[in-house]
Amino acid sequence: MTRSFSEHQVAVNGVDVAVLEAGDGEPLVVFHGAGTLTGFDSLLPLADRFRLIVPHHPGFGLSGDDHTISHIEDLARHYRDVFDALDIRDLSLVGHSMGGYLAATFAIDSSERVRRLVLAAPLGLRVPEHPTTDMFTIPNEELEAHLAANPSVFDGKVPDPPTPEFLASRYREATAAARILWERPYDPRLPRWLHRLTMPTLLIWGDADRMIPVQQIDVWADLVPGAERRLLPGVGHLLFDESPDAVAAVAEFVGEELTV
Amino acid sequence: MAGSSVFDDIQFYLLNHHHYVDIPPEADDYDSVWVDLPNALFDPERGHELYQRFARELRLAEALGFDAIALNEHHSTQYSLMPATSVRAGYMVAQTERIKLMVAGVPINLSWPSRVAEEYAMLDVMSGGRMEFGFPLGTGMEYWSNAGQLNPATARARFREGLEVIKQAWTLPGPSRYDGEFFNYRYLNTFPRPFQKPHPKMYMVGAGSEETVRLAVEFEAGYSVIFVPIRQQLEAFALFRRLTEEAGRTPRPEDLAITNIVYVADTDAEAVHEAKPHIERFFSWFHRVPAKYLLPPGYVTFDEFLRRASSAALADGTRATWDDMTAIARIACGSPETVADLLAHWAEDAQTSRVIVTLSIGDMPEWKAVKNMTLFAHEVIPRIRARGAGPAAPAAEPMAAARR
Repeated sequence: MTRSFSEHQVAVNGVDVAVLEAGDGEPLVVFHGAGTLTGFDSLLPLADRFRLIVPHHPGFGLSGDDHTISHIEDLARHYRDVFDALDIRDLSLVGHSMGGYLAATFAIDSSERVRRLVLAAPLGLRVPEHPTTDMFTIPNEELEAHLAANPSVFDGKVPDPPTPEFLASRYREATAAARILWERPYDPRLPRWLHRLTMPTLLIWGDADRMIPVQQIDVWADLVPGAERRLLPGVGHLLFDESPDAVAAVAEFVGEELTV
Repeated sequence: MAGSSVFDDIQFYLLNHHHYVDIPPEADDYDSVWVDLPNALFDPERGHELYQRFARELRLAEALGFDAIALNEHHSTQYSLMPATSVRAGYMVAQTERIKLMVAGVPINLSWPSRVAEEYAMLDVMSGGRMEFGFPLGTGMEYWSNAGQLNPATARARFREGLEVIKQAWTLPGPSRYDGEFFNYRYLNTFPRPFQKPHPKMYMVGAGSEETVRLAVEFEAGYSVIFVPIRQQLEAFALFRRLTEEAGRTPRPEDLAITNIVYVADTDAEAVHEAKPHIERFFSWFHRVPAKYLLPPGYVTFDEFLRRASSAALADGTRATWDDMTAIARIACGSPETVADLLAHWAEDAQTSRVIVTLSIGDMPEWKAVKNMTLFAHEVIPRIRARGAGPAAPAAEPMAAARR
């Protein structure tokens, strides 16, 4: 069946937060990365089995700005308020890239609420041997090639030439990301606490990721007890846009114990 | 002219950018002269020669009777050999006796505000009270060139706190305490304190934004503006005067400064012929910087970014033609009469008595810079001073000394 998201806004601490929802069932929340350019329609197959919820972070997409958010932990606390507003207690959580960093941070402090966790090419660790590409210094003309192994994911998403409004909306999202990531795109204290991720956890990564090298999956696997791994051959950083297999793997992992 | 005018106490500040003047033969290969220009292009021996050359020009400024020397700071660029402008200012304090020095200045976000307060107090005491200070936020490029700990998205809030710390360090008896979002001082206790009372003249250095004008008025500082179109400068100055009056003070001509590129020769045609290639390269090479470096994330608001992205002139400033530049910017090239008339008009129009002039610019050779400075001091300054009630004599050394 053809699905689509419905969008609604919830007011949290004076900021209008945009929430995309589709489907029914157990709540499955996806934390997006440091940009909303390609949209989230590729995730819609998850709505066949779950109540799929994709909130836009403050300063991104259709959500308002919140200049008081300056650390990944601020964002994690923001989501406690968002989930209260949505009356969500227990949930499964998927985080991609910066959203993976956020999901891990949220789950460390709320491990009892997170039923199953998927970290998809997560940001957040400092791995000197395989360092994360600095998102802020990639030249504009090389950005798409860094983000995706399959450039067709940007078809129809980028005006040519870019309009001022398009550039300004990208600048706005880069600003919101910079508030959290400019000083460092990782938390040196994160390894100290990842043992708290005791819920079933899947690490999933494209092996052609040019933003966060796939070798970092080993470091995560060492730090997160019992985490499963899944590698996607030839897939880049925007794995859910690029690979239906990535989305199917999430559905399978999160739905494993469901009797629906 | 009846009554008091901006010309009664008009003062001329010689700004020398300290460019690393040698444009590489393969210049077209580089998209940027800032942030990522390979520093292999820097030859230390050539750098040493240039520091000596610019010191000669600045000493000449004193001998010729200029009122002040102005120095600025930029990082990781051939535009400037002064990434630590206080170091250069300390050197020039020792090389001069009378002339004022304006350091405009350390972007305080790149340092600790207490340390800036200390360095500047040292300069003021060492120079016997000859210092003035300009406080820039720092261009977007400085935020790329310096530590990642300096977040452009919080730069303005941090800058404001830095200013508070400096002003407190200079005006409150120490030790004092400061509890901020970015800075926390248990014993703020600047030693030495500045020579001048209550502290050296402060200017905010802006690019025409309302925010910086408001900051200047709030901190009771002057306001100066870098290269933005004249119309925009005048709007900012008008706002400064209005806000100053609203704050219950009277705006003074010395609280505003205009920055000008000037070249003087015997005739208008000769001046343009001699200066134009260097001024064009000042914009096409030394100002070459991609939009990405000008505007790191969060350095300006969404609305301001959209305004700039929508303005073709601003988006492609380094490719402006000579006619475009001279139409919107303060570029005065001509005979002494032409230049004096233009600068006098600009000063009057802006209601300012502080005229900053750049006379050595781009890849201009020393002989042209010296000729330009000499003609400016002998033929232009007296013509402008003559319009006021102050000393109308030529700004040559004896009179300059007598003024002090």
